[in-house]
Parts: sequence; C-alpha cells; structure tokens
Amino acid sequence: MKIKMQIYTLAFLILFLLLNNTGVVCAQTPDPGAPGPLAVTREEYDFGDTAFTPTNFPGPVELRASVHYPTNLSGGPLPLIIFLHGRHATCFTGGTAFLQWPCTMAGSQPIPSYKGYDYVSEILASHGYVVVSISANGINAKDNQVRDLGALARAELIQKHLDILNNFSSTGGAPFGTKFIGKLDMTRIGTMGHSRGGEGVVRHYILNNSLGSPYGVKAVFPLAPVDFNRPVVNRAALSVLLPYCDGDVNDLQGVHFYDDARYNVPGDPAPKHYILVMGANHNFYNTIWSPSSPFPGSADDWLAFTPGGSSDPQCGIVKNNQRLTETQQRGTGTAYLTAFFRAYVGGESQFLPLLTGDAPPPPSASTNNLFVSYHAPDNPELRRDVNRLLNATNLTTNTLGGAATQSGLTPYDLCGGDAPEPAKCLPDEPNARQPHTTPSARSSLRGLSQLRSGWVDLSGLYKNELPGGSRDVSAFQAVQFRVSVNFADARNLAGLAQDFSVALTDASGSVSSVQVSSFSSALYFPPGSVGPVPKVVLNTVRIPLFAFTGVNLRNIRSIEFKFDQRLQGALLLTDVAFASAPQ
Amino acid sequence: MHKRKNAAGRYLLKTIGTVIGLLLLVVAGNARALAQQVAGSVNNEEFTVAQLLKLPGKVLGEGKNTRPVGQFKLLKYRVEEVQLPRSIKVELLGQKVEVDKAWRLTVTGGPFPVRALPAVIWIDDQIVGYGVENELLSEITAITFDRSLLSEGGTISLSYGEDKQSRVELPEKLSLSSAR
Repeated sequence: MKIKMQIYTLAFLILFLLLNNTGVVCAQTPDPGAPGPLAVTREEYDFGDTAFTPTNFPGPVELRASVHYPTNLSGGPLPLIIFLHGRHATCFTGGTAFLQWPCTMAGSQPIPSYKGYDYVSEILASHGYVVVSISANGINAKDNQVRDLGALARAELIQKHLDILNNFSSTGGAPFGTKFIGKLDMTRIGTMGHSRGGEGVVRHYILNNSLGSPYGVKAVFPLAPVDFNRPVVNRAALSVLLPYCDGDVNDLQGVHFYDDARYNVPGDPAPKHYILVMGANHNFYNTIWSPSSPFPGSADDWLAFTPGGSSDPQCGIVKNNQRLTETQQRGTGTAYLTAFFRAYVGGESQFLPLLTGDAPPPPSASTNNLFVSYHAPDNPELRRDVNRLLNATNLTTNTLGGAATQSGLTPYDLCGGDAPEPAKCLPDEPNARQPHTTPSARSSLRGLSQLRSGWVDLSGLYKNELPGGSRDVSAFQAVQFRVSVNFADARNLAGLAQDFSVALTDASGSVSSVQVSSFSSALYFPPGSVGPVPKVVLNTVRIPLFAFTGVNLRNIRSIEFKFDQRLQGALLLTDVAFASAPQ
Repeated sequence: MHKRKNAAGRYLLKTIGTVIGLLLLVVAGNARALAQQVAGSVNNEEFTVAQLLKLPGKVLGEGKNTRPVGQFKLLKYRVEEVQLPRSIKVELLGQKVEVDKAWRLTVTGGPFPVRALPAVIWIDDQIVGYGVENELLSEITAITFDRSLLSEGGTISLSYGEDKQSRVELPEKLSLSSAR
C-alpha cells in the first residue's frame, strides 16, 4: 500500500516536471495585467498643433503626447512603450464632432483620442515601463488624401516622437528639464497601434529599420488594425489583436500581418501571435471612443455600423448575446498588451505561456472566450514545419519532404493563396466573413493558403509522413496547427462544435491518438448571423506531446488527422508543425 | 527475500524522489530568477488629392433628393468636371495615359462616421474611388480620371471598405444632364 502511494507520488512529481518543462497549463502563470508595485505619474508634452509635417502630407500635425512613468525613476533606464491611436473625428464643439486640423471653428476643441489608453498605460508604468501615447489628430484629418491612407505619416510621427524622447533621455529639455536624462532605454522599445495606428506601428518598424535602426524596437502590437498596404514585421515580436465583433474593421484584415510574416524571412528569430477576442468590438479599446465617453463621435461600432447588427445573437444586444462590456473588453487588452510587452520588451518570460495559449487567460482578461494563436521563431530547436500548405505540391509532399496523403476527404484542395488557388475559400461569402483572404485596399497581394477539406463518414484521414532525419520530435513542446470550422459547408451543423483525432505513429508502429477537443475549443462553429459574422478565423490548436503516451517521440513516423469523432464536417487548415515556446 | 526486495524498492524510490526534489528546486529557482527580471483612388505624382479637391469644377449632374436614405442618411450626388491646369500622365486600367481632366463625384448626407475603413463610392459595380470627407462630415468626394465610369443611369452607392454587400444606394440614378 505504502509503495503504491509512493509510486503515485512519484508519478505526480514526474507529471508536474513535465508540465513545467513544456510550459503547458502553468496554473502558476502570474497575471501581467494586475497593477504593479510602483507609484505612477502622468504628464504630457505639447509642442503645438502644427509642429511637424510628415513627408508629402497635405498639412502639418501636432506633436503632443501623454507620458506615464514610475514616479521614482531611480531604477532607469526603463523600457519604453509607444501607443498610437487610430482614425477618429478630430474636433468637437458641443455635441458635434467633425474632421478638421487644427480645430479652428469657433469654440471647438480637439478630441483627445491619445488619452484613450490611459487604463493600460498606468498598469505598465506601475511595473517599471515608460508609456508614451501619441496624439495623431492632424493625420486623421487628412490621411484619406494620401495614397497609403496615412501609414507613412504615422510612421514618421512615431519616429519624430522617438527623436524627442531620445533628446529627453540624453540632453533633457522642456517641459521635463533633466527629469528623464538617462531614464529611457531607447534600445528596448515596444509599439502598439490601434486601428489605422496598427498599420502605423508596422510601417514605423520598417521606417526605423530603413534608417539604420536608431531605436531598438523589440515588439510590435497592432490592435484591431487595418492592413491597407501589407507591410510586414520580421525580426521583432509581433502580436495582433482581432475583435470578433469589430464593426469598423469588420473584415479583421489585420490577420494578414501574422499570415504574411510567418515564412517571409528564413531564420526569423521572432515569435508571432494573434488573439481573437470573441464579443469584442473596435472602439471599446479606446475609452475616448466608447459610449461612456463624454466626447461626441463615440459609439459602439458594431451597433452603429452594422445594419441589423443589434439582432445578431453573438455581437448584438439580444438576450444571451456574447458581447463584452467596455470594462471587460479593456481587460482583454490590458492582459495581452501587458503580457506581450513585459515578455518581449521587459524579458519577463513567465508570461510566455499566455502568449502561446498554453496558459488560460489571466484574471485581468475578464473572459475566457478568446483564442490565442502562435507561430514559433524559425529556429530548428523551436519549430519544425511539417506542412506549411503553401502550394499544390504540399498536397502530396509536405514541407519536410515526406508524403502527404488523404483518404475519404472531399474536397482536398488549397484556397486563398497565390494563383492558381482560388482567391477566396468560401466563394459565396462576403470578404468580411473570411479575414485571411480579404483583399487589401492598396496591395494586390493574395491571402492565406489553406487546405480546404471535409468528410462524410468516420474514415476520413489526412496524413503527413516524417522522413528520416526529422523523426525525433522529443525536444518540442507540442504538435500544433491552425484550423477553423467552415461554416459555409453544410456538413457542419450550425452551432455544433467539430472534433477529430490527432495520432502520432512511431517507427515500431505504435500509435497514440488524442482528441482535439481535449486540448482546445478552437473547433467551435463560428457564431453570428448578421453582416460580417459568422467568420472563419484559423485559430492555433496546440497539443502537448506528453499527451501522446506509448509512442517513442524520438522516432515518430507520421502524424495523422483522423476524422473519426463526427460523422461529417468540413475544415480549413494550415501550419502543421512541431513547436515550442520562445526561449 | 520478499522483505529484502521491498527494502531495495523503497531505497530506489527514495533515491529517485531525492533526485526529482533537487530537480524541482532547480526549476523553481530558475522560474523565480526569470520572474525577477523586470523588466483616394488617385495615384499620380503631379497633383495631390488636396489640390484636386480645391480646383474649380463644372457641375455636370446633381441629384435633387431631400429625404435622407438609409444608414448614412444619404441625400444626393454631384458630378463635377475639373479642367487640370496642365496635362498629366496617370495610370488607367494598367496603362499610362495622358489626361487633362478629372471628375469629382460627391455624395452628400451624413454626418458620416470617421472610420478606419475608407468610404468607397461606386457606380453600379465599379469603384469610382476612395472617398475624402469634408470637415463637417456632410460630404464625401471621390476623384477619377476615367470618364467611362460615370455611366448615365448608373446606381450610385457608398460603402466602407470594398465589400459590395455592404453598399448603401442613393435614391437617384446618375444623370449627367440633371444640372441643366
């Protein structure tokens, strides 16, 4: 009896070690969005409404920003986080908003969109970061008059502010005097841009690189972004937040930032993420744009911009809808912005499980109804691509050179990528319902190449063989892929989640099989029925390798997707890989 | 014999337990150490959209509707022909051509929302151009160098982004003789 107890204890300890080592579960992952120990001071600098003119931009813009910083700066130099708001009305008088810069109409004042992220700035500053939120009303007033819709102007505005901050940190200057001398670490910078600001921070990353990288941008976070021009971030950590009920950027085109970056640069050491937040809209991430704001121009964008949107069961205001409140939604922003910047700018690696999806959302996120996707750095120790599914060759030969085969699947084709693939995977559905392939306003680039497939009995099978030399997967944490239920295929029953099995077979013929539903809820039937929803977003499923018992992980011969859990169904799928969290 | 086997087993378990305990300490210590690390459709280089919006224009057609329609409270349209101060080369349907005129199609109504997605003005199934709002948000104007887009009797509509399904139509069809 005693020996039995000891064996159970030992088994528990081994399991604990395995879990710890793989980074999976991690109930001990701290909450990055909880207020930190440091007192915070908020100040502003303002060099006037017409202090800067971006290149070839039709008018001058303001140089104004808020600064949140730890009141006691003695621990500096501190990492720097830059926020940039998106497109919104620029001026108001009484209850009327309008689009002008500077605000010259009688009695009019600027709408302070840059103050809309104070809620997360305070949290980051309380953990030792300096957070600068930039005003960009001057760009908003005229960005539709330039070809790229303001992307370069936003990038140049950020760079100009970094120059100003660099001066504060090196020689000092008004209005702060010597306060920030030696206190800003210009080699550890993170940028977050919301909406058009999202493309702005990506464009800025490229601009800064083109100037010889005078500033060390380590992490870029487009939030509910547009992606008109398809710029790409490589060699810096990337995370995109996608609100499922976005009523403005309702095609979630920002997912292209992730899709385009994945295999763009061989050896890219940077991780990539996106977070699909169910029930979230576009505006609530900025308090100034939200209905509780006293400023005109604020709105619940889903309700304001989606005809009939109020009746949608997911995003509307009918009984049992899944919408998040303003506070809940900002919780998701706080949790994942802080996790991302603290991990990749601050080096606080304890938050990585949140960003790989191995740990559930922290309490500050206020909801569990979100999906985290993760693409590991292009490092053979961290990622082994089994099948990228990029072209027709990958239907028969996978990325490792092994055979890719199927039985009982129809169709079995690729869609969404470069010609000759069809441009859309769901030919009869609007672009807003298929973000991965939505066209771009200022680019002719195609979207994400996806395997489109389905089955009609329990024998459907998709198999990738691992050739010799790539069969030892024991060093990886998980097998992973991205997948969505194809809501437009009648084989999926509305409202019913899908499921299938993933099986690993080793060289001796031993097989270990697990159900996807045991580790992920990504096989949900996409909810909603009005306008831009339902929509297909391919979320990452990560299954820890310790779940595959009874096979030799040092000699795996094949990975199979067995469609043996539902009588019929249809999926979109890509990015089959073995992968681990960043180090 | 049986007792000796049990004793050996216990010893083995004890040893493994000690090793695992040490490993746990190392892992936990490492985690603590980590935790302490603080951390417009117009694309030419000779005239800007701003300039093309300001040049004087001759009204070719104008709607008369006074009842707001749909989500954007659309009212009417206005088509203006703009004589350029000089000829310029622009790209039309993939070819460089020389033009000396532009056309402005303005939709009135609103107040129009200031959104991340640009307003797009259509005639039938063709995009005339991306729209630019006026300061009061009561007008959106698109500019084109392609006269053939302005098809007599065409349906004028507005969307945000290029999704055809989300277009809202003006109540009046395009009439280029309606200004007379």
